[in-house]
Amino acid sequence: MSDQHIIEGCISHNRKAQQLLWKQYSGYLLGVCMRYATDRPEAEDMLQEAFLRIYFNLGEYSGTGSFKGWLRKVTVNTAITYYHRNLRHKHHVDIDEYVTAETGTAGFEEDFYSAEDLYRVLNELSPGYRMVFNLYTVEGYKHQEIAEMLGIDVNTSKSQYSRARAILRKKLEELAKMKEKYT
Amino acid sequence: MTEEKRDMDLEGLFRNKLEENEMEAGADLSGRVMRRLERKEFLRFNTSRFNIFYAAAAAAVITIAGLLVFPSPGDEESPLPAVREPQQTEQAVTHEKKVEGAIEQAVTVTPSLKETDTSGDKPVTQPAAITSRQNETLKPVAAGSESSVTREVRKGEPTTVRSLQRVVIETSASSGCVPLTVRFSYPAAGTMKADWSFGDGGISDENAPDYIYDLPGTYIVTLTLTDAEGNKSSAATRIDVWPGPKAEFEITKNKLAEEGEELLFNNLSTGGVRYLWSFGDGTTSDESDPQHIYQSYGRYDVRLTVYSEQGCADSVTITDIFTDKGMFLRFPTAFLPNTGGPTGGYYSRRTDEANQVFHPVASGVASYNLKIYNKVGLLVFESSDIEMGWDGYYKGQLCPPGVYVWKVRGAYRNGQAIVMAGDVTLISY
Repeated sequence: MSDQHIIEGCISHNRKAQQLLWKQYSGYLLGVCMRYATDRPEAEDMLQEAFLRIYFNLGEYSGTGSFKGWLRKVTVNTAITYYHRNLRHKHHVDIDEYVTAETGTAGFEEDFYSAEDLYRVLNELSPGYRMVFNLYTVEGYKHQEIAEMLGIDVNTSKSQYSRARAILRKKLEELAKMKEKYT
Repeated sequence: MTEEKRDMDLEGLFRNKLEENEMEAGADLSGRVMRRLERKEFLRFNTSRFNIFYAAAAAAVITIAGLLVFPSPGDEESPLPAVREPQQTEQAVTHEKKVEGAIEQAVTVTPSLKETDTSGDKPVTQPAAITSRQNETLKPVAAGSESSVTREVRKGEPTTVRSLQRVVIETSASSGCVPLTVRFSYPAAGTMKADWSFGDGGISDENAPDYIYDLPGTYIVTLTLTDAEGNKSSAATRIDVWPGPKAEFEITKNKLAEEGEELLFNNLSTGGVRYLWSFGDGTTSDESDPQHIYQSYGRYDVRLTVYSEQGCADSVTITDIFTDKGMFLRFPTAFLPNTGGPTGGYYSRRTDEANQVFHPVASGVASYNLKIYNKVGLLVFESSDIEMGWDGYYKGQLCPPGVYVWKVRGAYRNGQAIVMAGDVTLISY
């Protein structure tokens, strides 16, 4: 069944199309949510919310761009909503994580790190840093856009990004040392 | 070209590994989602059916569908064309071999000489052995084919002939990168008349000429010596001039890049197999087209050095990149508020083409506070957000046309204080 069929099926409340939509894209979208979440349960919550949003807004998909890209966009927006909502309950831990950015320049060997490794280091970041890093690096938004989405200052976005980067680099390097020790 | 690109930067790592990564959603999660979906759909469906029967009464209810608003990633500033410097090329001859007077070049003896000279002399030269001493890239020169022998054989004067048999060409280099300067000489220079032919049409009668090859290629150099009695003897040698690479690059997103934003270095070099980038902030890269992030504005000189297969190098530097866009704050002297109602004051270059918002053009401003007063000194507007200008409204009412006074206090990124004041005319249609 093509994307077009799935979309039409879902709009006319076809049960089979619903299941296909889920089957086809839940894995990918869970991967997206995992980047924005603190842990797996949070990612699953996000995914549920995103999927419902997607399902009830399929009519909004224009059909011109990539469907997968649209799904991802809705999911990322859900993650942003999620982030805003949770901000009220949790307080920021950003200051604790402040590291003087001693950025190395060594490259990272792709095959050395698993996707799980990368999720883990991302999950350990504070939500603000994680948000900015994801939006900027993986989603490819500009700082100006990120600032608007998150309701923060452009400079905040930039500084959070560079700190996130420094933390991630440090964590990856630590991870590499550990891995080398045990293999 | 050796393509070893498995080492990547942090961004690349996350992007490549996670962008398309899929995870197993799990059966119980699927179950939960489907149940939630059913429940929600049931409620909605009821609403719409309800709606069909009681259309008038439920007209308002139908609009419950929460519309998603997607922030559009559209505010893309188009990067200015990358600044390219006039070629600042430097030649670095890396493989110059100093062969100090040691290269014994083939004293080429004509077959006819060998035949006539029956005194039992051993052949003086072993061309293959000589070439192997010079450089590994040299292919053995086939003796006789490339060496020109101009010696006049004089029968009956074997001793003279023998004294002239060892002719040696000394070179300062037998190979190198273009342009290659070679100093030629021969032992006991000055005792005989020398005639040099450099293989590219150039000739000289100096004893120790310097010759510059400015085109790559293989050249056979011959030296003919004539003694006082008119006896001629000659020798040849080979010079390899390697093509040089040409370093060239451009930077995308130079002018508008922000701190922490990635710059892409687009390598336009030719003839290179290895690259070395120096970004001017203490970091380097050996990728062909690297990306780099500067953490702060500065005046960075980016240098690209390109190496050819033979190690010839060329480099080019683009100076003063990623400088501050400058620090300035300027205000217009008039604006035309929207008469249809307040616009809120947020603006962007794109949205405020109609000049409905009074706002500055600024760069490098770290802190900012704008106050606007009317003629009687009433504060009609204040903003500490540079992105927020005045839409001409005060308490929901469009202010009357006229002159308003503004004051700004703040600081630039470098700490320099901003204190400015001026006036602006509110124009009305």
